[in-house]
Amino acid sequence: MNSRAYERALATAPHILRPNWPRRLGVVAAVGLVLAALAAMVVDLQLAPEAIVAGVGKLGRFAHAAFPPSDGGQWRRILHALGETFAMAFAGTVLAAVAAAPLGLIGAKTVVGQPVVHFLFRRALDWCRGVPSLVWALILVSAFGLGPFGGVIALALADIPSLAKLFSEAIENSDERPMEGVRSAGVSPLMALRYGLAPQAAPVIASQCLFFLESNFRNAAVLGIVGAGGIGFELQERIRVFAFDEAAFIIILYMVCVAVLDTVSQRLRARLA
Amino acid sequence: MRSPPVEPAARSVVADFERDRRLFLRRRRWETLVGTLIFSGLLLVSFQHSQFFSSDIGGDPLGRIADFLGRMSPRLSPAALFSDRATQGSLASWLYDLPLWLKLGWQTVEMAILGTVVGVIGGLAASFLCARNLMPIPAVRFVVRRGLEMIRTVPEIILALILVAAFGVGPLAGIIALAISTTGSLGKLFSEINEQVDPRQLEAMDASGAGLVGKIRYGVVPQVLPNYASYALIRLEGNLAGAAALGIVGAGGIGIELQRAISYTEFDTYLAILVLMVGLIFVIDIVSEAIRHRLMRLGAAR
Repeated sequence: MNSRAYERALATAPHILRPNWPRRLGVVAAVGLVLAALAAMVVDLQLAPEAIVAGVGKLGRFAHAAFPPSDGGQWRRILHALGETFAMAFAGTVLAAVAAAPLGLIGAKTVVGQPVVHFLFRRALDWCRGVPSLVWALILVSAFGLGPFGGVIALALADIPSLAKLFSEAIENSDERPMEGVRSAGVSPLMALRYGLAPQAAPVIASQCLFFLESNFRNAAVLGIVGAGGIGFELQERIRVFAFDEAAFIIILYMVCVAVLDTVSQRLRARLA
Repeated sequence: MRSPPVEPAARSVVADFERDRRLFLRRRRWETLVGTLIFSGLLLVSFQHSQFFSSDIGGDPLGRIADFLGRMSPRLSPAALFSDRATQGSLASWLYDLPLWLKLGWQTVEMAILGTVVGVIGGLAASFLCARNLMPIPAVRFVVRRGLEMIRTVPEIILALILVAAFGVGPLAGIIALAISTTGSLGKLFSEINEQVDPRQLEAMDASGAGLVGKIRYGVVPQVLPNYASYALIRLEGNLAGAAALGIVGAGGIGIELQRAISYTEFDTYLAILVLMVGLIFVIDIVSEAIRHRLMRLGAAR
């Protein structure tokens, strides 16, 4: 019974039941090619297994040295650095949001009805989005001197393109009819934005800003490595002198702060939604 | 003409409404006030704390930004634009180390690809261990989930800092840092994909007597592969930017040249490398977007 059904299927549509050898070979060849390419990259970067083994051994020693974590008698200084990191993140996010708001308006299809302008603008934002804040911070710290100021500008610069894109999407996604209604009452364009658009777009935008504040707290922790102050600077100093117990203390404290900030911001975002 | 008499009950309803509305408005006004106060307080403290208007940096932040932009722009002169490297103002003198930058740029791409591949493998392993429908032991799920969360908290640059101390200066530390943080984020995303697998297809295969391998190959893989690949490619784009920054702490790639340009205060060189980096990211974005769209079409066709 079973075999007769099989024979009938073979007679009507043999290509489905027979193994498709060209296709299988193609898949095998593609996988082989990818593996060969990866192997070539490994060779090109001169990644040696013995280096990995040695490094893992050293990591084990680091982990051993990190236990138990110790504040090194400098908890006041560490807390101050944490505060500085949060200050950088907050100031950077606010600056980025202020700068991104007009850009978001320009980038929104519904506000600026010029497809060419819109396309070029969006593409330009896409290109700039890839530059990480650390790369900005490196040059800004060198230009403005050591300290958090360069870090704030770096965070803002790195966020402006992404925030502008998100803002313009929030604006495009809002209903146009309230805008039309307000406009038909004969108010100025600015008032139309304020009463037609802002009530819809503002909660979305605020929640995105909170989200960026969370991520900026993580980014700001890194900026100290290039001299922008904050917790990253303290951490780098500890790692440089192999004081892994103090580094572990800072990392644990930092993780707790991230968790607290994320929870607070999640609550606020849930209220906005 | 007298207004019709209002029933006492109706009057009290109106009064209740008016009172509630007043209370509501008052509460909202208070909330706005308190929110604004907290926000401006935080902002003030933040600006103060981050030395935004501090005199140590000479005050006048806008003026300094303008000055800095001036130092960063290349000194090109239209007359000598296409002459050789030795001529001031030519493109070649601005991009004087282009071959090296391209080589390091390619190294950055390789780092990003290898880090992503290792991270995808790690993320896959973790995702099976913490997906509710595949891992029956809650304790394992809990531990793996918390572990992934912890990894996601630590920025990859800080991982790289520790790894450079262990593995020495070079791309190896960078690849491992990228792989670890990719595992952290993809493990979570992949496990969510796993949990969305339609159980009916697996039941149908059970009914037709398929083995475990057959079930995974024909029941699970076609459902999850396009999503896996799409997330992995998005992560690859992010990792390229990440790999470019990792060089700053000595973990290989183009970042080392950024660091060098800064230590010689060659701001215009910095801009040149930055432009190159943005170009690289742009190319990878286009390639990965094209692949993702093809995969999405394949996924839709199935």
